[in-house]
Amino acid sequence: MSARNREALALLPSALLVTAGFAAIFLKRDAFLSNASLTYGAVFLGLCLVGHLVIRFTAPNADPYLFPLVAVLACFGLVELYRIDESFARLQAQWFVVGLGLFAFTMVVLRDYHLLERYRYTIAAGSLLLLVLPRMPVIGEATNGAYLSIRLGPFSFQAAEFAKIGIVIFLAGYLRETRQVLIHGGRRFLGMSLPPLRHFGPLLAIWGTAMLLLIFIRDLGAALMFFGAFLALLYVATGKKRYPLLGLGAFALGAYVVGGRVGHVQDRVAAWQNPLDPVLFGADIADQGKPGFGSSYQLAQSLFAQADGGLFGRGFGQAELLTRVSDGGTVTTELLPASQTDMIYALITNETGLIGAAAILLTYLLIVQRGFRIASLARDPFSKLLATGLTSVFALQVFVIVGGVTKVIPLTGVTLPFISYGGSSVMANFILLALLMRVSEDARRPT
Amino acid sequence: MIAPPLADLVEPVSVALKFAIVGVLYLFLAWVARSSVVDLSRGAVGAVAPGVVAGEGLSGGGRGEPRLRVERAIGHHPGDEYDIGQGAVIGRGAQVEIQIEDPYASSRHAGLVRQAGVVIVEDLGSTNGTFLNEEPLVGAQPLQLGDRIRIGDTEFTYLDD
Repeated sequence: MSARNREALALLPSALLVTAGFAAIFLKRDAFLSNASLTYGAVFLGLCLVGHLVIRFTAPNADPYLFPLVAVLACFGLVELYRIDESFARLQAQWFVVGLGLFAFTMVVLRDYHLLERYRYTIAAGSLLLLVLPRMPVIGEATNGAYLSIRLGPFSFQAAEFAKIGIVIFLAGYLRETRQVLIHGGRRFLGMSLPPLRHFGPLLAIWGTAMLLLIFIRDLGAALMFFGAFLALLYVATGKKRYPLLGLGAFALGAYVVGGRVGHVQDRVAAWQNPLDPVLFGADIADQGKPGFGSSYQLAQSLFAQADGGLFGRGFGQAELLTRVSDGGTVTTELLPASQTDMIYALITNETGLIGAAAILLTYLLIVQRGFRIASLARDPFSKLLATGLTSVFALQVFVIVGGVTKVIPLTGVTLPFISYGGSSVMANFILLALLMRVSEDARRPT
Repeated sequence: MIAPPLADLVEPVSVALKFAIVGVLYLFLAWVARSSVVDLSRGAVGAVAPGVVAGEGLSGGGRGEPRLRVERAIGHHPGDEYDIGQGAVIGRGAQVEIQIEDPYASSRHAGLVRQAGVVIVEDLGSTNGTFLNEEPLVGAQPLQLGDRIRIGDTEFTYLDD
């Protein structure tokens, strides 16, 4: 079976999942099965087939499993968003159409992605600007204390989502250029041969940028994502373990020093260490019957929701999202705040249990495996580094949010790619996917 | 639609739906995973991309004997390997270790030297230049597993695994 036919076949399960998912939710809500779920499934399949056709015409040899794996994530996202609020699902579906448009655009226009390497410094400057803009007055906007989004009139978008792609492109281009020097460094220091200062400088600058990000946008997750991708690339480019080890040490040290001084990061760490602390949880607020909650409420509730899900989950549409806090029943509070974005993983765990959550993580793992596979097949250093970087930043984003929700690391607000509600996230990740497909097409095209 | 008398079927049906969804999902993932594994084992036998052994990535270890494998060269068999552990000169002349009959090659075209366990390639002032991974070679460059050296229409891959 050819790669593209395999891809088309692999899209069927996700259409089936959408149909069954919506059926389960309709059944729970109205106690009847409507054929609307079939319509949703058909529309979803139609959208996927459009994406498939774009790939068939622009990249016939590219990896056949990436797109179907993403479709499975997207269908889970749509079903869960519909279950939280119909309007979320409707908007998200629109974002998917826009995202697919961008995917097609990237696939058609960027036939030769090596062009990107030539503009690496422009792209780097643009990405840094995107990262700093949310801190600027008027257009900047703080979400829960972190500066991540830019507001332009009625639109607000997450700058970090787009910046991550730009930064990876820059790093891939930069390391392609300098990796030889980094491997065969000059001076020896403490038993290690270090590259000349001229080349070590930029590496320090990247570390400094990550620290500045931490201070400026106050977001540990985004800083971890960018710096982690950088270390992964550095390791792949040089094959020397000491670079990522040194980098991790430097990052830990910097995060400790900076994090202890930036109030917002401090709060997040405190909430992470002790989510069940009554003061942090905001038990007194709930006792007085007021809406609102403490700083660790979200994390604590996420842990409860996941534990409540058990092995098999409560079933689609059965998680409790709102509760009445006062005796009169007039004030409601969210049991799982931000369940459509940051907390969607906790909601999925609650409704489908450990087996469902494990399936989601497996899907991400397989995407990452395909990504690294593309990198190992790629024929030139820039392509290898680009595919590695894009895959790493994707994997780290999943780690940062799932790790945050499951209390492995302090919780920070990044989206769960292709599942969380949010236009920027959907669009940026579709561009990332298109780039990976392009590298894959280049690598697998018979010569 | 389910008629009202069947309302007590709602619960079992939704449970069945949930397990069906998870079941389909796992079957799909198993299929993709199986294909990935098949892919990997196939890649390990024959190098899929020219010059790069699948799974090796960019970071060549350099533990084995350094060799040059012929990719294409007039008068050579593709796949032949030259041992370059003692260094070598590539060129059209008679006094070289690796002789190529490429019209674009100079008599002493490019030199390979082994220094501190690393093989370094250098252009010996040739007329048409040497290309390392399709980039013009400037100065002396250390070689890594999978690097491609091209002189005119002749191409070698550096191996040290």
